[in-house]
Amino acid sequence: MRSGKLNPARDPALRARWWRLREDFVRWVTRRHQADGRRARVTRDRVYILPTRQGFMLLLILLVMLLGSINYSNNMAFLLTFLVVGIGHNAMWYTHRNLLGLKVTVLPVKPVFAGAPPMLSLRLEETDGRPREALRLAAGGQESPPAFLETGGSAEVAIALESRPRGIYSLPRQRLSTRYPLGLLEAWTWLTLDTEVLVYPVPHPADAVQAATADGDGEEAAVPTARDAPPDEIRDYRPGDSPNRIAWKAVARSGRLFVRDSAGGDAAPTWVDWDAAPGSDPEYRLSVLCHRVLEANATGQPFGLRLPGQRLGPDTGPEHLGRCLRALAAFGLPRRKLT
Amino acid sequence: MRAWLARTRTQPELLGLWLLLAAVPVAALPHAWEQPPWVFAVLMAAWLWRVIIHATNARLPARWLMVLLVLAGGALTFVEFGTVFGQQAGTALLLVMLALKLLEIRSQRDIVVSLFLAYFVVVTTYFFNQSILIAAYSLLSAWLITAALIQVHGGRVLPLARLARSSGLMLVHALPIMLILFLVFPRIPGPIWGSPHEDPVGQTGLSDRLEFGDIAQLLENEATALRVRFEGPVPASSQQYWRALVMTDFDGRGWRVDRSRPEVPADGEGPGDVAYTVTLEPTRAHYLPVLDFPVGIPDHARLLDNLQVVTSRRVDSRLQYTGHARLDAPPVLPLSADERTRALALPAAAAPRARVQAALWRAAHGDDDTAIVQEALQLFAGEPFRYTLRPPLLQGDNTDAFLFETRAGYCEHYASTLAVLMRAAGIPARVITGYQGGQWMDAGNYLRLRQADAHAWTEVWLEDRGWTRVDPTAAIAPERIETGLSGWFGEDIDAPAFLRRSGLPWTVQWRLRISDWHDVATFRWESLVLAFDPERQRELFARFGLDATDWRSVLIALAVSLGGLALLVGLSAFLRRPRDRRDPAQRALDRLSRRLRRHDLAREPHETAAAYAARVRAARPELATPLADFAQAYTHLRYADLDAQEREQFQRQLWRALGEAKG
Repeated sequence: MRSGKLNPARDPALRARWWRLREDFVRWVTRRHQADGRRARVTRDRVYILPTRQGFMLLLILLVMLLGSINYSNNMAFLLTFLVVGIGHNAMWYTHRNLLGLKVTVLPVKPVFAGAPPMLSLRLEETDGRPREALRLAAGGQESPPAFLETGGSAEVAIALESRPRGIYSLPRQRLSTRYPLGLLEAWTWLTLDTEVLVYPVPHPADAVQAATADGDGEEAAVPTARDAPPDEIRDYRPGDSPNRIAWKAVARSGRLFVRDSAGGDAAPTWVDWDAAPGSDPEYRLSVLCHRVLEANATGQPFGLRLPGQRLGPDTGPEHLGRCLRALAAFGLPRRKLT
Repeated sequence: MRAWLARTRTQPELLGLWLLLAAVPVAALPHAWEQPPWVFAVLMAAWLWRVIIHATNARLPARWLMVLLVLAGGALTFVEFGTVFGQQAGTALLLVMLALKLLEIRSQRDIVVSLFLAYFVVVTTYFFNQSILIAAYSLLSAWLITAALIQVHGGRVLPLARLARSSGLMLVHALPIMLILFLVFPRIPGPIWGSPHEDPVGQTGLSDRLEFGDIAQLLENEATALRVRFEGPVPASSQQYWRALVMTDFDGRGWRVDRSRPEVPADGEGPGDVAYTVTLEPTRAHYLPVLDFPVGIPDHARLLDNLQVVTSRRVDSRLQYTGHARLDAPPVLPLSADERTRALALPAAAAPRARVQAALWRAAHGDDDTAIVQEALQLFAGEPFRYTLRPPLLQGDNTDAFLFETRAGYCEHYASTLAVLMRAAGIPARVITGYQGGQWMDAGNYLRLRQADAHAWTEVWLEDRGWTRVDPTAAIAPERIETGLSGWFGEDIDAPAFLRRSGLPWTVQWRLRISDWHDVATFRWESLVLAFDPERQRELFARFGLDATDWRSVLIALAVSLGGLALLVGLSAFLRRPRDRRDPAQRALDRLSRRLRRHDLAREPHETAAAYAARVRAARPELATPLADFAQAYTHLRYADLDAQEREQFQRQLWRALGEAKG
């Protein structure tokens, strides 16, 4: 069931149809499972197991061995043949147990800018007291390298998902599988762990021409940068001041806490405004806005984001940045499923 | 070296390839003795080539070269054997193809295929050798192959100790299934196609012709000829004559077996008879040694009228059979005129002096055949005859030279000479070869007869008693008959080590002890494993009231035994299941949550018991009282410092509340 190997044809239309059929089949098989949310446990009722091609190959060789044993009435040949039959039979059990009982937690997916692959990582935990080997995670047509777990240990498996245009996505269905120890059988489980995948617009500096011709209310066109900011003033530390702004040189000299207070510190906040962004293509505008938000954030000054129907800030800090970027990612789009 | 180590770390399959390269020679080694040298040479050359490729990261041979090599391998096999099928040729072909497969391993799949072929190579070992040593050895091979398979699929370089352990455990876990299938899988007698392996090696042990020195030659041969287990009490050694070949035709120098005898029905066993089971080592001949005098013979064997038992199929592999013997009263069979003539025939020129001696006895005793036999035995016992390991060479007529000149010989000298004397005196006589004596193996509770225990004796026809055994060796060397070879040669420094009772260095003593252990193990192995055939399977099934030839019975047996096994495994897993570590209060809370889940009132993971109870109460006011009780009891049990009595009280409150809080 490895994706990509069973494609019936190279013809993309046929392939798409095959994928749809496959999807439908998996959905039919897993219809009794509930969506997993953040964590799941690999229980008996969700482990599937089937022989691999190698499994069938061994079966064939065993058949020949058995025929030889019967033909020559050779008891020791019978014994070894049946020993290997026993090993093959037990492989079912080993493979199944290698997967069974794992605790799987989905880790937050770090937001990416469009064009970069989001990394899906799952945390696997072993609590049943036996080590696990060669666990593979597949999702969205990608497969992870094998992971292993010591007794009571945990591990993270990660897959780089395909890069996507901006938006907020849910995770594609995951498939956790193993062929350990003999490769005769593959046991797998389908997981529907979910977390939000944020894909921000690619930051794009506004073209010089467009920036110049932009009609301005003033503030948003000239985003202050660290370089053109007026020289800083040093003043005493007041509770609530950001640690980023502590003037360490002054502190070192005097032993007192000073903070660097930029001239425009208490001035009106910067606004990054949709209406002020150049261009008519909304995606281009969002890219420009993204760039401006990042720049505004880099100054450490409060800034706000204005989008049609939305107003964020003004504020500072990583959370505010996150909110702004998220708003840019989600702008005008429903949440979508990654495949 | 460092380079491949580094590569191995990044590509775990490569370690699997090393393990494959370790497993292949191990699995193939037993074939080195059975296959023509070139087959093993090809395998080792390919193996070495692959090792070099693997260690130096050299290129694999080109595809056209591989095609050429495969064709050449097939052709060579065909030229050698005239076929590519059958045990010998098929095995040779398998080895050659495995060798070439090593050269074209490019992917994980190729490694796996080679490992599967290696299992096959192990199986083919048994076409040539089914000893217990080979069985133990092939376990080693299977262990290595399985370890390699695990590594190939391990996804990383597995710790060697774990690899070894996992592989070993897999073998152990597979044993019960192996055993069940071995016993239950339907056995079909005989080959489906082709004939089993016919080894070109000649006959060992007793041969169809007996001349002076033939049996003395076997004295050095310590190999086991047959092993015997008795059903009842073991007869005295002096009564155990294992007859194999009966020789009637004498040509002046030696005796020849008489095979074209009519078949007679066996008497059938009676109450006082000795029942025994023989495990015969391959003789590559048709005779079956049976205890004198045979009254019950194995199935598929024929009893000839000279009491010789033969099979139609040559004994090319170990054979187990049962028989019955009557120790003293030989069944009297009438002697036909034709047979009498043959049993009296002496070549005209043979043994002139012995004839004179016989004529003198005949003149002295008249019609009394028994007295003449006694005279002859008296002669051996009274005159300075020697029973010796190394009889001197004889000049002229064998019989006369032995009887009147050297007077030193081994059992066949005496048996043959006695028969000639009897024939000269007009008493029908014949020579029997077989085994006598042997070593009682306490550890295995069986009698071990070696080739060295081969023996020859005489039978004479007495009018009132029929064919009567006369063993001249018993007259000259009674210890040989009563206590076996070591009874006579135990103190003889010329005797082979295994016969001697003293004066042996400890190394030799240990060698003999190990050889004894090995013999016992072989015997056990033989009777436990190799002797299991359709017949025994029928008996086993019959013990459970099933019929081994009926597929429904086979299915029942399979289902019951595998089901029983599964039950055992399940039971042991159940007994060793991880214990529920939740305390009773937590369990009660979980149960409450489970019960209310269908009203969509399951407890959220972050909710305390009290908060949960409050939420439920809001939705289901009728449960207010039990929920309040429950929350109180829970909180006290979990967090309060209670004495035993209070604890019990809250426990009761908790469960009562749980009972009342029915959704």
